[in-house]
Amino acid sequence: MSDLDAYRTQARAWLAANLTPKDPSKVLRAAHGASPEQLAADRALQKVVYEAGYLGIALPAEYGGQGLTKQHQRIWNEESARYAVPAPGGIASHVTLGIVMPTILAHASEQQKRAWVPKMLSGDELWVQLLSEPGAGSDLAGLLTRATLDGESWVLNGTKVWSSGAMSADFGVCLARTDWDAPKHKGLTWFKVPLADDRVTVRPIREINGSAEFCEEFLDDVVVGPEMVIGEVNEGWAITNTMLAVERGAGAAQSGATPAPSDRRLAPDLVALAERRGTSGDPAVRQLIARAHINDFMQAQLTRRLGEAMVAGSVQPVVASFIKLGLGIVQPQRAAAAMEIAGRGGVAWALDDDPGSTASVNFLNGRIMSIAGGSNQIQRNIVSERILGLPREPSPDGDKPFRDVLRDARSWGKKT
Amino acid sequence: MQLDLTDDQELFRETTVRFIESELPVSRTRLLHDHELGYERAWLRKSAELGWLAMLVPEADGGGSISGAPVLDAAIVSELLGRYVQPGPFIAMNVVASALAARGSDKQRAELLGGIAAGETVATWAFADAAGNWDAGAGLQLQRLGSELVLTGRRGFVADAASADWLLVVATLDGSPIQVLVRADAPGVRVAPLTCLDLSRRVANVDLDRVVITDDDVVGAPGIDPVESALLHAVVLNCADTIGASQALFETTVAYAKDRVAFGRPIGSFQALKHVMADQALFLETAEAGAVAAAEALQRGDDDAALVVSMAAAYIGDVANDLAQECLQIHGGIGFTWEHDLHLYLRRIRFNSAAYGDPTWHRERVCTLAGLGGGAT
Ligand SMILES: Cc1cc2nc3c(=O)[nH]c(=O)nc-3n(C[C@H](O)[C@H](O)[C@H](O)COP(=O)(O)OP(=O)(O)OC[C@H]3O[C@@H](n4cnc5c(N)ncnc54)[C@H](O)[C@@H]3O)c2cc1C
Repeated sequence: MSDLDAYRTQARAWLAANLTPKDPSKVLRAAHGASPEQLAADRALQKVVYEAGYLGIALPAEYGGQGLTKQHQRIWNEESARYAVPAPGGIASHVTLGIVMPTILAHASEQQKRAWVPKMLSGDELWVQLLSEPGAGSDLAGLLTRATLDGESWVLNGTKVWSSGAMSADFGVCLARTDWDAPKHKGLTWFKVPLADDRVTVRPIREINGSAEFCEEFLDDVVVGPEMVIGEVNEGWAITNTMLAVERGAGAAQSGATPAPSDRRLAPDLVALAERRGTSGDPAVRQLIARAHINDFMQAQLTRRLGEAMVAGSVQPVVASFIKLGLGIVQPQRAAAAMEIAGRGGVAWALDDDPGSTASVNFLNGRIMSIAGGSNQIQRNIVSERILGLPREPSPDGDKPFRDVLRDARSWGKKT
Repeated sequence: MQLDLTDDQELFRETTVRFIESELPVSRTRLLHDHELGYERAWLRKSAELGWLAMLVPEADGGGSISGAPVLDAAIVSELLGRYVQPGPFIAMNVVASALAARGSDKQRAELLGGIAAGETVATWAFADAAGNWDAGAGLQLQRLGSELVLTGRRGFVADAASADWLLVVATLDGSPIQVLVRADAPGVRVAPLTCLDLSRRVANVDLDRVVITDDDVVGAPGIDPVESALLHAVVLNCADTIGASQALFETTVAYAKDRVAFGRPIGSFQALKHVMADQALFLETAEAGAVAAAEALQRGDDDAALVVSMAAAYIGDVANDLAQECLQIHGGIGFTWEHDLHLYLRRIRFNSAAYGDPTWHRERVCTLAGLGGGAT
């Protein structure tokens, strides 16, 4: 038996002994953030997984990892897919491990990596992203949160919004403006901000689906030391680009974390809806089911193809925008197809675990991928300009100091 | 389309491009639009010297592939044929070659395979019913009369039938699908050419009126697997052709958008067009991933190859047609002219999406293959 086969056997046995299988009916239920008890229990369980050596499998030992290969990680992904792997704080856990950690590994100092990454892996620290602001989403570099130097320390003031999972998290990576006289992309810096700080107010926001998975934060004179600066001062935009590429699929694609859906199992949720209504023989319904299944399959093929090309170095991480845009286009279509198949069952139902209820939640969530992490339109700008090489949008921002950008925006379009 | 070509494949691809650009560049393919057969036999023989028709023919029979993965090698050629809207019976001949290589008798192999590999013998695959639909042979009965076998009926939509020496005909014998070889000049065979949307292609109905063959002409044992295998080869090569055509058309369109000026700026700077091109770039990239997945599944002989191939075909057919339409829109008036090459691609892509099962048909097939109960078939 090869090393990898042995690893698989060992992982399989460990999973069976220590975790419970996934309960598919639970996946989509609306959540209002985890209760403190639930969060503590999930953190404890994550520590069990970590201490057994199944988190950070392909990371070096100095960052708390196991120093094994990507194939080992892939095997774990495959074997653990059927289990309820602990994700404390739900989305907060995914952001910590899937988005923040790879970015920290790429840009933080050696000392920071050694201090922070093991805590992310063990579940001791949950991190979320404080990027968007009320006035800056797509145009993220137009953000207004300021960080001012006071002796050695930095003082942060501003408002962040839509921060997924912040109510359960310990820290936020916060992008703030540190130079108002530089052009807008050139005066931004990354900070690690403790969310439990008295001067940070975290307020959950109720979402379209009734749950509250994202928050707004008010930062009032939050003081952090120089050790909390990530990367160089005023050079935060490059880190932002790394983080966004990871979020848009570069991370998952390169680690092979998105396995191809099982080819033979046609979109199970859609089949369930059709069978419930007795329409699985209806040619129009069959077309909808096949189309959704094919799109899922093709998206997985695209992700695999681009992931391999990224690993081989033949394409730049910016191609992650393809993966993101693909999801942003396909998911709303899929949600709409489910509602079409569900018919009235998707707008009224008796029991919470009814497939129609699931379809309705997916319908309400259908636009997550087309907005969060950079909207479809922003991905299209990126693909057309940075991949196809089409001319950039003319922008009134130019290389002006950010102060002047703010002033001039007010009079944009008005004749002088 | 394929990302990781071997050095040999890379070299082969370059040689193929050079051959096409010197023998039959797109401008010169126009001269063949009024040609009755669509291509010259001398050109076919020359192309065969590069190995175009030999990939799926075993070495012992006079063939040989580049990399040992003949489907992937043939897909390289197919993609380039689409890219340069080349004419000729490439797909049909490779399908026949794969069928004979897998199941042909010694006599059939000796009689045909060497000739196919050399481009001396033109063979095509007559698989569709009178309406041009896949019927696994159901619409054409092969009857046994003493020691003879007799075929009567029509096969529709036969590629390059008018220039073919041999037809591999899909029929039914005692309720089972069967493939038989029929000489195109056999008594009772009548080829009725159709007018084809794709100016680079030729198709015909083939009427078989009491055509007599013998057991020696039957290829392999009856059953669904051989005809299915032939279909998968045709679909995979057809997908690669569509990818090549779509790439060429899209590249031309992006270049045009950078060049053409309106309102004091290149039209490619207008977001309304940039976003269309971004979507098309995504769909094309995804389609390529699907085409490769299909070719690899067939090459490996995966259990679910038929499913993967149909998924790819449904996706590629649809997105390529949309892409061609959007490219026409982006070109404006010039794209609406006969003079511009755009319509050669638009026609090719539209033709391909109907040739070996259209997207709707492939989607229904996906449901059936995946076991979704309650369907019509
Ligand atoms: C479920 C969810 C989770 C999120 N999680 C986080 C998180 O954890 N952390 C975080 O920081 N943020 C998060 N966000 C915020 C997200 O990144 C922003 O909502 C997104 O980038 C869009 O910004 P906006 O909401 O300000 O919309 P706007 O930027 O105001 O955009 C409004 C519309 O204008 C379009 N538009 C804007 N600019 C252009 C342009 N140049 N060309 C064409 N169209 C344009 C947009 O596409 C959109 O359709 C989350 C959002 C959602 C929905």
